[in-house]
Order: sequence, then C-alpha cells, then structure tokens
Amino acid sequence: MPKIISKSAPHLRRPNASVTRMMRDVVIALLPLTMFAIYKFGMNAVWILLVGIISMVATEYLYYQVMDLLDGEKLVLRNKRFTLYNYSAMTSGLIYSLTLPDNTPLFVVFIGGALGMFLAKLVFGGMGQNIFNVAGVARVLVVINFGTLVSYDIDSVAGATALQMLSENAFNPAVLDSFSLLNLFTGMGIPGSIGEVSTLLIILGGIYLAFRTSFEVRIPLVYIGTVFVLTSLVAIVEGIGLWYPFYHIFSGGLMFGAVFMATDPITSPITKPARVYFGFALGFITVIIRLFGAYPEGVVFAILIMNMFVPTFDYYKWTHSKFTRKRNLIFASVVLVSMLVVLVGVLYA
Amino acid sequence: MIKKSRKVRDYKALTKALPTLRYLDPEYVYIHLYNARAKTYDLFVKEGDYVKVGEKIGVRHGGFFEQPIHSTVSGYVGKIMKKFHRTGRKVDVIEIRNDFKDLYHESITDRPDYVIEQLSQDDMVEIIKDKALVGLGGSGFPSYIKLGTKDPIHTVVINAVECEPYLSSDYRLILEHPNRVVTGLKYIMQALNAEKGIIAIKSEKDPLYEILTQVLKVRFPELNIEVAKLGNHYPQGWEIEVFKYALGIEIPHGVLPTKFGVIGFNVSTCVGIFDAIKHNLPVIKRHFTLTGDAINFPQNIRLRVGTSVRDLIKLSDGFKEGVKEVNVIMGGPMMGVSATSDDIIVSKTTTSVIILENTEYVEEPCVRCGSCVYSCPVSIEPVQIMNAVKRGDKDVMRGLEAYKCIECGLCAYVCTSKIHVTDYVRKAKKLIG
Repeated sequence: MPKIISKSAPHLRRPNASVTRMMRDVVIALLPLTMFAIYKFGMNAVWILLVGIISMVATEYLYYQVMDLLDGEKLVLRNKRFTLYNYSAMTSGLIYSLTLPDNTPLFVVFIGGALGMFLAKLVFGGMGQNIFNVAGVARVLVVINFGTLVSYDIDSVAGATALQMLSENAFNPAVLDSFSLLNLFTGMGIPGSIGEVSTLLIILGGIYLAFRTSFEVRIPLVYIGTVFVLTSLVAIVEGIGLWYPFYHIFSGGLMFGAVFMATDPITSPITKPARVYFGFALGFITVIIRLFGAYPEGVVFAILIMNMFVPTFDYYKWTHSKFTRKRNLIFASVVLVSMLVVLVGVLYA
Repeated sequence: MIKKSRKVRDYKALTKALPTLRYLDPEYVYIHLYNARAKTYDLFVKEGDYVKVGEKIGVRHGGFFEQPIHSTVSGYVGKIMKKFHRTGRKVDVIEIRNDFKDLYHESITDRPDYVIEQLSQDDMVEIIKDKALVGLGGSGFPSYIKLGTKDPIHTVVINAVECEPYLSSDYRLILEHPNRVVTGLKYIMQALNAEKGIIAIKSEKDPLYEILTQVLKVRFPELNIEVAKLGNHYPQGWEIEVFKYALGIEIPHGVLPTKFGVIGFNVSTCVGIFDAIKHNLPVIKRHFTLTGDAINFPQNIRLRVGTSVRDLIKLSDGFKEGVKEVNVIMGGPMMGVSATSDDIIVSKTTTSVIILENTEYVEEPCVRCGSCVYSCPVSIEPVQIMNAVKRGDKDVMRGLEAYKCIECGLCAYVCTSKIHVTDYVRKAKKLIG
C-alpha cells in the first residue's frame, strides 16, 4: 500500500520544459559563432572566451560560498545555489566574451566579467532577480573603464570598423568600398568584436532558438525592423540607396544584441505587446545613439537603458496581455512621432 | 519555453479504447448526505429500514435550493459515518447494504413518448428538481435552476469536450449510448424551445463524430442538431471557451451565457436529463474512469453512485508494484482535488479517480519567460499576480484582475521553472475575496 500524498492541482507539469533547457539552447545557438570567432581570431579568441566564461562562473561560485559562510552554513563543494548546472552564468559569460574585440587584454576581460556578474546579477539576488542584462553591464564596464585599452584591430585597408567609418563620414557610399554588404553579412574580412561580425551565423542561431521556442522572436524582429525602417527613412531623405539601412543592420552589434542580449527573458517585459513595444524602443534608441551620439555603437546602451524601463512596461495599471485597438493606435502614433524625431534630427544635424 | 502553449499531453490512450466495465453490485453503497453546495440535511429513514432503488431517503438543504437524496440500491439502511467527498472534506454518508434484488421504487416508471411531447418547461423543471439532478461534469450546480431560465434560448450546447487529460468516461458514454445523449438534448431543446442544438466534441475524437452524425441522420432526421468539432487544446471544455469556438460568441467575465441566448450542459447531465424525463429515474448510475500511471488496470466503469473507490481499486488489481507515493485525484489531473486517503465515495459529480505516482517538482527561480501570460485562457498575468502575492500587495492583485482566474492550472503546467503559479493565483483570489 503506497503512501497517499495530497497536493493542490494541477498535478501534471509540461514535460521537456526547464530553465536548463532554455539556457542550454542559447549556448548551442552561440556555438557556430564561437567556432567562427576561433577560426577568425585564433588563440586570442580562445583566451578571451575562456577568461570571460571563467570570470563569471567563478565569481558566482565564490559569492555563493562566501554567502553560505556568512549565513553560518557548512561549506560544501557543490553549492546548491550555484547555477552552473543550468548554464545561466555560462550563457552570460559566453555572450559577454563574444562582444569583446579580439585584442582586449585578458585582465580587462576578467575584471569586466567578475564585476559585471557581481554588480548586475549577484547584488540583486541572483538568477531571475537582475534588472540589467549581465553581459551588457560587463561589456559597458569594459568600454567605460578601459576604453583606451580596448580598440578594434585596425584593418590595414579600412582603418576602422564599419560603424566607425559610417560615424565619421555619414551618408557616403564610399564606405561600401571598404566593406561590401556581402562581407558584412557573412562576416569575412570585417574587423569587430570576436562574435558579432557574422550576421549569417547570428541569424542561424536565432532560427534555432525560434524553433526551440527558447526566446521571444518578436523582440529581435521588431528591434531590427525598427532600425531598418528608421534608417531607410534617413536614406530616403538624404537621397542615398538601399545599402544604407542594410549597412546599419548588418554592422556592429545590432544583430548579436537583438538576438542574444535583448531577448534575455529576465530583463525584458512579460507580455506580448510590451515585448513588441520594448523591441521598438530598443531600435529607436539605437538609431538615435548611432546617428547623433558620441559613440558609433548604441546597441548595448540601448539594451541597458530599456532594461530600466521594463518594470514600467509591466506596471499593473496598464499592462495587458492582449493587443487592443486603443493600444495599437497609441503605439502607432508613438512610432510616427519617433520617425519625425529622427527626420528632424537628420535635417538639422 | 516562451510560447503560447495550450496543448496538454492527454494520456487518454490508457482507457480510451477500453469498453466500459459494469460494476453495478457493490455490497455496500454510501450516499453523501451533504456536499459542496448543500450543508445541512434531513433523513427520512433510520437504521434497519428497507429502501428500494430510487427511493427518496432524505433531503439536502442548500443556500437557495433543496435537493432530495435517493437510494441507489435496494437493501437495508445502515449507520451514518464520515467519508471523504470530492471536495476533499470528510462528510456524513449513510450506508446502505445491498440485497442484490435491484427492486425499483414504485415511482420509477417510464413516461410514454406522447406524454413527454406534452411536457412544458415548468413540468420538466419540476421533474428534474424532484430527481435532484445536478451538473454531472463536476460543477454540481442544480440543473433545474439552469433549465428553468427565463431568458430566451436559441441554442443548446452539449459539452462533450472532456479536455482534461486521462479522462475518457464521457467519450465512452457517447460511443456506447449516443441515443441517450441525442434524446436528452432533444428534451432540453423542447423545454427551452430552442431552435438549434450543438454537440461539441474534440476534433481528434473522430469516431464520436461519425457515430453522432450517423445517429442524427438515421434516427433523428427532424432535429436541428449539429456536431461541432472543437480544437484539442486545454481548457477547451470550459463553457465560455466552448461557446467561443462552437458558436463564435464571446461571453465576458461575470455575465451568464443565457443572456446571449445560449446554454450549455455537460454530456453526462444531458444523459441524466434523459433518464429523469424518460425513465423518471434519479442519477443512480454513472460512467466513471479509474486511471493513472500508478494503477495496474486503468478502466472505464459504469457504477452505482455511492460505490467506494477502495473497491474499485481492488477491482483494478490495486496499485502498481514498487510505487512508494501516489496522488489520489478526484476529477481531472489539472483541476481535480487530491485526497488524503483512498477511502473515497463516488458521488454523482465524481467523474473519475486518477492515481498518479507522486512527483516532487523542483522549483527554480522564475526567469520571466512569460509562458503563463501567453497561455492564460482568461488573459491575466499569473506571474505578476504571483509576485504581488509574495509582496502582499492587494491593489496589484485587483489591478491584475486575479478574480478572473478559472483555476484551470495551465499556468503551472506550462511553467518553465516548474513553479506552482496556480496556487499563488488561488491565494490572490482568496485574499481579494
């Protein structure tokens, strides 16, 4: 006679759904990029990846061991709060190291990773509690603190990354001589961060994630779509060809950030409409920073800025899990206004 | 995983193809003296009295209705004792020892068809009230109140979707007795003067579609009854969802479907109405499923109301070897109540008992994937309600419309982190009253 246990309904759970599976899928989706990075940048990439991942995982492990000690618990080798088993720290570490340029000094990689993990995730209470994207914070720490040490490998022909070129001589089709759109798409012969250059492989990873339903496909679609539309608008006003918007979405960290960083579910809104609005806001801010900001690249900043507004999207007074007519109208007018802002900016800049 | 997912693995293959076993002569039956809706009772018989099948032995008093209690076997009345009810509480039951003669009470006589044709809505309501018919799908709501509606009804929907996993008793009921279902629907349509009847089934239940269309074509060509194939998702069997997919009518929260001219009955209730009107019979037998992964022989059983589940488990050759812990669930596994003992009595409204091997799910931190928000059939945001419950913030619970929750259990089912979200929403509902 077995023991009868009483529980509350429902008594079933979905098979094949777990946080581990979700995070592991992200790692799998990043594998082609990682391989491409190693193929292209050699041992440099291997070291950066190793140090990036280890800095984050080790920081988390040490933190939980120290916390357990402070709580007066017995020290055990397998810490129960440690999240290596569900790939979450590893995913952050991998994404973080893939956003770094290939000649980043290793101590910088380490400090960025450890600090990023600590400041963005652990102090907020660990997995599921962080407000900011961990990889994003680590990346920004590196840019801001070690900006002079971190520069892209200067290509003998081009002299700068695609976006730096564009930032310096905007609206000049001459940039295409250095970087053809095809090269930007495949990532061959393009300087840049070790994992961000190949649009093709990023899209492949995104398709894998979409099929495994391990990320919200609306965010990258809307994000990239917004950047495309806004830059097309600029292209039309300036009278330049369709290469301009494609140049924007293929270069820099846009694809990578949209597919792997903006979609982090912990730091994105929770409802379908809010995720669409979130993607749009990301695109808008990215375009603003790229066109009018001091930095040539705005993806990580856009993601971190919008991370701050996630609780606003989810505020109980206006959050709603379905699209409604009224909300669609408001959203459409916001889109129009932001188009106008970009246009005015371009005309008077 | 981040998607709208309303597919629930259904496990119906365990019992779907098995013919219904008859288990009609238990040695004792136990009749509940009160239930979820009726809290007090009067008993007309005492220990040692002889009662017949269908005899009125007492009456339950609910808040706004009275419900006669009928004996389901012929035999001698025994003691009053306490046993578990479907709701999970221990309630008074009266024991009746079966004398295996199956003598029917004098009042149980068939009504000829020409009499039935003359019955008005009020007559039928009176019969059903007298036969204590309630919603047999599990709601337990008195059917006479539903049938006595004064709103004009144009469409009667019979809900045979049975979207809960594991259950197959309604499926077998239609497969084996399609005539009763259709005739029951005919009576309801007559009572309500409705033009149209719809029998809603799941689209995957193809044999039912063929059987019902055949029966309708051959036996009841004069009736305006359609068979609607609905989707396979959960909770398709929720009444509002049935109306939405079968008729395209969306009924807002808190409005009675009769205001829109539609009314829904469960298929077992429909057969109950047939029995009450044609044979003048209260619910003394019902289709029942005893299934689950921790029992040796899952079965569909036709049994007397009042049969002890312990007897049924013995009939199914007991629990599986080597299973240490089980859940005994009355009703479906998504919404059913889990009992603390197997000493349960099958009441009128118990559709099934499911015996599952107990699994302890490890909860991980919420990663805000949004599956619960995407999947919720009433479009609320379970995860945010959960966070509000953790903070104790009632304004937020109200603002997020936690009261709309139908407790279908889908949010906990789909949760990537295996968190028991439904429980938090249930708490929120209690907190905001």
